Amino acid sequence: MATVREDVRMGRGAASLPEHVLMVAAWLVPGLGHFLLNRKLRAAVFSAVITVEFVLGLALHGELILPRAGEPLSYLAAVATVGNGILFLLATLLGVGEGVVTAASYEYGNSFLLTAGMMNLLLVLDVHDIVVGRKE
Amino acid sequence: MVDHFLLLVVQAALIAVFFAFLWKRDGRERLRYLLKVLAALVLGAVALGWLMYPFPRP
Repeated sequence: MATVREDVRMGRGAASLPEHVLMVAAWLVPGLGHFLLNRKLRAAVFSAVITVEFVLGLALHGELILPRAGEPLSYLAAVATVGNGILFLLATLLGVGEGVVTAASYEYGNSFLLTAGMMNLLLVLDVHDIVVGRKE
Repeated sequence: MVDHFLLLVVQAALIAVFFAFLWKRDGRERLRYLLKVLAALVLGAVALGWLMYPFPRP
């Protein structure tokens, strides 16, 4: 049976999943990519941090920003929003994350939501680096 | 009522924990890095706030 290191050197995760599947899993569920690579502590911490960040963002009346015509920066924000994976999909399905522009905490909420998405996207890149052997 | 400073500290703490676990492997190293990032973010934001203080609001 191949060790984790051998799996990683051969371009596979510890679960012997292909690289792109691991990356999609990492995007979809925060921490899942690391969990499948047997980095369980890190997976738990990442999952908790991103979920707390996301929930706080919603609680602070932040908005899940999607592309708006005539607002080029909204496209960048949308990348971060979609980066939240299943959290974004769930929030959209539940109809939350519309944002309350008049709330004092609106901008704080936005920065929590955008930070959560960017963190999750960083995890996708981290999973890639681990799989290709660039990182332990 | 939103406590702006508390939100700043919470955000900084979450970011610090995230990067400590992303970049560092050893427990001691992680803790040192976490504290460094937390201090840099909180103190940096307060310092930036003070620097912006003389500029009038539009």
